Amino acid sequence: MANLKYDHIVVRYGELSTKGKNRKEFVRQLFHNIKKRLADYPKLDYQVQHDGLFIKLNGEDYLKIKDDLKQVFGYAYFAGAIISSLDIEEIKETALTIATMKEHRTFKVATKRNDKSYPLRSDDINRAVAGHILSHSDLKVDVHNPDLKIYISIKHDGAYIMDEKVKGLGGYPTGINGRSMLMLSGGIDSPVAGFLTMKRGLKIECIHFASMPYTSAQALEKVKTLAKKLSVYQEDIILHIIPFTELQLAIYDNCDESYAITIMRRMMYRIADELCKRRKIKTITNGESIGQVASQTPESISVIAKVSDTLILRPVCMYDKLEIIEIAKMIDTFETSILPYEDCCTIFDPKNPVTKPKEDRVLHYEAKFDYQSLVNACVENDQIVKLSYRDQEEDIF
Amino acid sequence: MKAYFDTVSTTRCDRQVLETYKKLLDNYYCNSDALYDDGVAIYEMQEKARGNIASSLGVRKDEVIFTSGASEASSLAIKGLCFKHPERKHLITTSYEHSSVHHAMLQLRDVFGYEVSFLGPNEKGVVSAEMVRKALRPDTLLVSIMNVNNELGTINDINAIKKIVKKAPGVYFHSDITQALGKIDVDLSDIDMASFSAHKIHGLKGSGALIKKRFVELEPIISGGQQEMGIRGGTSNALVNIVLAKTLRLALENQRKYEKVLDEMHEMLIKGLKDIEGIRINSPEASLKTLLNISTPLTSEVMLNALNAKGIMVSSKSTCGSRTAEKNRALSSLGIDDDYAIRISFDYLNNKEEIAYLLDCLKEIISKYG
Repeated sequence: MANLKYDHIVVRYGELSTKGKNRKEFVRQLFHNIKKRLADYPKLDYQVQHDGLFIKLNGEDYLKIKDDLKQVFGYAYFAGAIISSLDIEEIKETALTIATMKEHRTFKVATKRNDKSYPLRSDDINRAVAGHILSHSDLKVDVHNPDLKIYISIKHDGAYIMDEKVKGLGGYPTGINGRSMLMLSGGIDSPVAGFLTMKRGLKIECIHFASMPYTSAQALEKVKTLAKKLSVYQEDIILHIIPFTELQLAIYDNCDESYAITIMRRMMYRIADELCKRRKIKTITNGESIGQVASQTPESISVIAKVSDTLILRPVCMYDKLEIIEIAKMIDTFETSILPYEDCCTIFDPKNPVTKPKEDRVLHYEAKFDYQSLVNACVENDQIVKLSYRDQEEDIF
Repeated sequence: MKAYFDTVSTTRCDRQVLETYKKLLDNYYCNSDALYDDGVAIYEMQEKARGNIASSLGVRKDEVIFTSGASEASSLAIKGLCFKHPERKHLITTSYEHSSVHHAMLQLRDVFGYEVSFLGPNEKGVVSAEMVRKALRPDTLLVSIMNVNNELGTINDINAIKKIVKKAPGVYFHSDITQALGKIDVDLSDIDMASFSAHKIHGLKGSGALIKKRFVELEPIISGGQQEMGIRGGTSNALVNIVLAKTLRLALENQRKYEKVLDEMHEMLIKGLKDIEGIRINSPEASLKTLLNISTPLTSEVMLNALNAKGIMVSSKSTCGSRTAEKNRALSSLGIDDDYAIRISFDYLNNKEEIAYLLDCLKEIISKYG
């Protein structure tokens, strides 16, 4: 293992830099999110500047922080850095330290002067530093395809010397764009939809429809596990567990089997919509992907979504299943999602679900029973759980 | 003063492991295969433990089989493999394996008609990859070689041996890593099976595991239900299995944490022993730092009794053979007279005062009775 000698981490903002007047707010949110995510490292000192967030390590472990920081949205990249004084001799020595920290064969130096009053030009600094590294190590220069790029950023308070730039997840700092209600089923798609929503700066709450005893306690545990995994990106997550069995049974008593899923989905939207209004949440997110199943054809989606006037976000609607799975694996929800517990969608799986439902038939079935009071009961009996990846499991392991 | 210098035989249970186990015992009693919530909760904890053990050892989750300890794990590995592949009848092992491996081999030889090559260690107390290579035959099924010898502390280069075995088609490699785990780094890649116990790494007695790679097929030795992927029957000792994860995690953490202090204790002990007239160190130099086999001018039994009277616990030979008349196979293979040998072993729960006390007592006993 290389002996890393970084004393700072430099986080560069990226996309949010383009946001004009809102910039200040964005930077504040990003700072807040990063600070919370790195709460396990109490010795860190933060300094917010216009061109980046500067974190002084004070002896905290860069490699551990690196993994955690990678899970925060809203910045372009970060890099471990050593800060030197502006004295060119010290810059040369520090760059040599960086260059010899890990094993490389070729290198290149790239200097940028934020402080244009610095007496040496960028190119002069490049040459001076490269010459020093050449004569004090086995490294060779390769300006086109180097193993190691050494970045030197000259600022008024010092020279920031970095090697690897670690690309962030991009997006906006979670929370900057309000909240969204994620319909979390337990499958592969909805956690990915949640992840993508958080990436665009929305904090999510989750709603889950539980059909005890047709669905098991394990199925609910699985959903909680998924919610916890998603909470990594926003610290904690509220999960609404809706007791759905009675409404579901009423649907099957009153509707033709082929329309059962369509009407069930409409009921879910009604409940989610009402919950959003009560909690002042402006959007609903779900994992619908066009054409994937009968209820996700354009015809089905439009008939189903009519019951809600809340804006519905469908981040994965144009993704192939394999693309969704790729993200699910990246965010570590895939293995949980494929655990074989029945969820409320698979439990009364009709043989021939309708792919092009007619609205008049839907209305006809819905008129046959008092669904509204059942929907209200679902909302009233909402069981709210707050979950976080930080929740200490009993200290058994 | 009491001083425990027999950590190779067993270790004191770690406080945290013990507390966790007590808490679990207070709260859980259901069968881990039962389908109601309380049963499922135990099952899930056990499976999480299995996953944690797997990642600590760099293997897959379904490659961890809980057993009652290393002896059962080794028996299962060796006999289970032989019964699954009856077409090959030659086995290779060392002459100084732990009795669980040794007696499984003897049983296969004497009852089931296998041929067993027992490789004796060289003058450094180790069995080399070259010896294994020479012993391989077209009908060899299994090579079973311990990582660290429990009498001498000598370390076999299982990384070199596994390379030789990997090149031999149809031959499996098993290693008893009981004495290595938590003391030296063990790399299980390309090792088909490995056994270890919890109680040698500050865990509970009656707990251990066999690591068995996915492609290795075994015949069950304990017939039973679906537990342990059908390879080891019997209602799971789930709570014990659960705390094995913590036991192993702490052992590996402590290996790093106490490395330096154990080195210092080793140096102090060696230096002190060399200053006492009449003591010979039997453990070759490149051995485990925390195990020293020595010979004194007194017979083992007398020395054991004399030390015991002073509250010092050491052993004369592997405790698993302490009540039999069998010769110490490790020592005799190095030509050492085991009548005068004692084994001193320690870990991070010992301290330098205890080592000083041990040295004083040895000196005193030898000058008095030697």
